[in-house]
Parts: sequence; C-alpha cells; structure tokens
Amino acid sequence: MEDSAVEDSPKQSNWPIYLYIPNLIGYARIIANGAAFGVAFTNKELFAILYFASFVCDELDGRFARMFNQKSTFGAVLDMVTDRVSTAALLVLLTHFYKSHYGLFLGLLALDISSHWLQMYSTFLSSKASHKDMGDSKSTLLRLYYQHRFFMGYCAIGAEVAYILLYMLAAEGNIGSPYEVTCRSIGNGTVYGILLAIALPGCAIKQLVNLVQMKTAADVCVNYDYARHNSKAQ
Amino acid sequence: MEDSTIEDSPKQRNWPIYLYIPNIIGYARIIANVAAFGVAFTNKKLFAILYFASFVCDELDGRFARMFNQKSTFGAVLDMVTDRVSTAALLVLLTHFYKSHYGLFLGLLALDISSHWLQMFSTHLSSKASHKDMGDSKSTLLRLYYQHRYFMGYCAIGAEIAYILLYMLAADGNIGSPYEVARHAVAERTVYGIVLVIALPGCAIKQLVNLVQMKTAADVCVRYDTHRYSSKSQ
Repeated sequence: MEDSAVEDSPKQSNWPIYLYIPNLIGYARIIANGAAFGVAFTNKELFAILYFASFVCDELDGRFARMFNQKSTFGAVLDMVTDRVSTAALLVLLTHFYKSHYGLFLGLLALDISSHWLQMYSTFLSSKASHKDMGDSKSTLLRLYYQHRFFMGYCAIGAEVAYILLYMLAAEGNIGSPYEVTCRSIGNGTVYGILLAIALPGCAIKQLVNLVQMKTAADVCVNYDYARHNSKAQ
Repeated sequence: MEDSTIEDSPKQRNWPIYLYIPNIIGYARIIANVAAFGVAFTNKKLFAILYFASFVCDELDGRFARMFNQKSTFGAVLDMVTDRVSTAALLVLLTHFYKSHYGLFLGLLALDISSHWLQMFSTHLSSKASHKDMGDSKSTLLRLYYQHRYFMGYCAIGAEIAYILLYMLAADGNIGSPYEVARHAVAERTVYGIVLVIALPGCAIKQLVNLVQMKTAADVCVRYDTHRYSSKSQ
C-alpha cells in the first residue's frame, strides 16, 4: 500500500513518476489481475495463483515506495483504483458462481462502490473546510476501527479472502447457495473451511463499517453545505 | 442531474437536507434501481420500465433542485454514486446475458470505475493547486467534448441505451455474441436496431473519452507531485 506523500530526494527528480519501481509493480499487478479474470471461468487454480500474485504486488509496491523513496500521488491513486476494480470483478465472478444469490453479491458490489466513493468525496470536502466546521462526524465504531490498523487490515483482507474462498468452493453448475457452501466447508473442517471461519467475521465487520462510513460521509456533505451557508450569512 | 452549489435562500435553512425534494427523488431512484435489478433475470420488460423510471428520476431531481432552490452537495454526490452503481450493475447483467463475451463487459466495467475514479481524484488535486501549476492538461478531444454539453449528453445516454438494448435483445440461453445481436438487430431494422445504430457511436465515443480522461487525470497526479517537489526546493 502507498500513501500519497511526495518523494523528497533530489536524486529522484529525473526519474519519471510513471516509471517509478512501485508504479511498475502496480502495472504488473493490473496485468496479473487482467490475466486472472481472463481464466476465471476456465481454470480456478490459475485464477487463484494470479490473484495471489497481484496481492503480493500490492504489498510490495508500498514497501518499494518507501525503500526507493519513490512515493507518488499517481502511485497511491493507481493502488486505490486497482483495489476497487479487482474487488468489483471478484464480486461479479461470484454473481456467476452463485447465480441463485446474485442479489447478495450485486448488493456487496453496490456497497463497495458507494461507500468508497462517498468516503473519498467526504475526505476531499473535509480537506477544503476547516476541521471545526465539519464537526467530529466519526462514529465510535469508526474511531475504534481506525485506531487499530491491524484490525482494519484483518477486515479488509478477510473480505477478499472470503470472496476468493467462496469462488474456489463453488460447485459446478452454479446453483449452490453461498450459505450452504460455507456451512458445509466449515462443518467438514477443511482448510478452506477453517480459513473461511476466520475470514468471514472480518468480511462482515468490513461491510458494517462500509455502511457506517456511508452515513458519516453523507453527514460530512451535509455539514459542508451548512458551514458554507453560515459563513455566507455572516 | 444536480450540480453542487449550495442553496442560498434562508427559507431552506430549516428543511433538513436529507429531506430536500430532489434528494427524496434520489431515494426513489435508488429504490427503482434495486427493484429493477431484482427482477432483471425474471422479467425483462419490468426491468426496462423500472430502469426507465429511475432515469426519469435522474432528470427530475436536477430540475426540482433548481425549481425549489434545494441544491445540495449531498444531492450531487447521491446522484453521482447512483449513476456509478447502476451502470456497474447493468454491465454485470450483460456479463450474464453474454457470458461468452464476459471479458468485454467486465472491461467496460473496469473502464467506467477507473476513469470516473481518476477523474474525481484529479479534479480534487486541481482544486488544491492553482490552475497555472497544473498546466493545461486537457487534450483537444476532451476540450471539444466538454464544450458541447449536448454531445456529452448524447454519448453518456448512448452508452446506457446501448447497454439496455443489448440486454433486451439477448437471446435465452446466454450464448449469443453481442456483436452478432447488434448486427442482426441493425440489419433487421427493428425499432431496437434503429435506436442501437444511433446509440452505439455515442457509446463508443464515451469509452474513448473515458480512456483519454484516465491519461489526463494521471498526468494531473504526476504534475501535482512534481510541482510540490519544485516548490519545496525553492
């Protein structure tokens, strides 16, 4: 993962940002994802390997950015966009593999897109207004969530792992229920089942946090207008 | 459609933004979309009616915002997010109805998410830096595109109409090719075929514009960093 602080070292000033090493890794990640989704219906094991490769790239590009002092705004945005698209594509796969429950995965897709979009927009608005105008709109749940980076990581990774496991476990014929598949694999105590039992609570909490973040982000939008109106009236 | 300027009239101060009339229409639009996607696999005509209803809501909420002086940032964001999610869901449907060509529609989904995300981020970065720092990064195509609002509308609506028509025209059994279906409808000169001929060029141009916007938005991200670096070293 990258953050968006600019690189400071003058040594880097001649190296084009598009060719920074972490960004090259970002391109590799996109290619791995493109290949993964190309074989998703024909070769599940290969999909899992390629998707895991892109996950490794995601971890590496942040480390390389720090190691080579090559953090960039472009890199952070590339990272964010790749996250959104690959999660979306994975949920699309699940609408296929659990077609009888497509509404569940379409709903998770809608939640992922909406909550991240609203979050980003409210972050922009907060950076424009002063913090005291915006009020402290974070809920207790969100405050707890953000204070524990490892917990956040567990929830986000838990969601991705849960989706991939559901994909791997899907029966031929696409007529299974994700709930039955989950119960059966946990009941059988398979490796997938155990991982699923660990990942699913994180996945569920992530969705809850997404919902809460939509509400607090919407509040930021509303407070932004009130603050502008009040400063105009003065 | 709404823009994001705030309402000025003090009469509105006591009416909660969440209950503004255009925002209530926005909620109705979401409900219509959810109902549409709920029946998408079982009742194509009902889907078309509900999706058209949500399209009408999208037109109305902008007009009502101006009419009642109830523009709001929340309303603009609600509008944007609903657009993104409904387009995404429509493309997901098309991966199902043209499963042999799922890569095409997954690609269009990736392009829609990426280009809008990058655009939003670069708009935010541009508003933080002064315009002369960012340079004029718009390409000739984009300049032409943005100067002609009706043309922009034709392209955006053309894309949505093309997707809906492909959905309506999809044969049972989900094994058709969207290219064959389009060619067949156009050759047969059915109503759908004629509308498709009008909509498809707009759809194609929209995708081209999305691609160009991704590049120019990425350039904005790069320029933001190089400018921050050079202003630091001064």
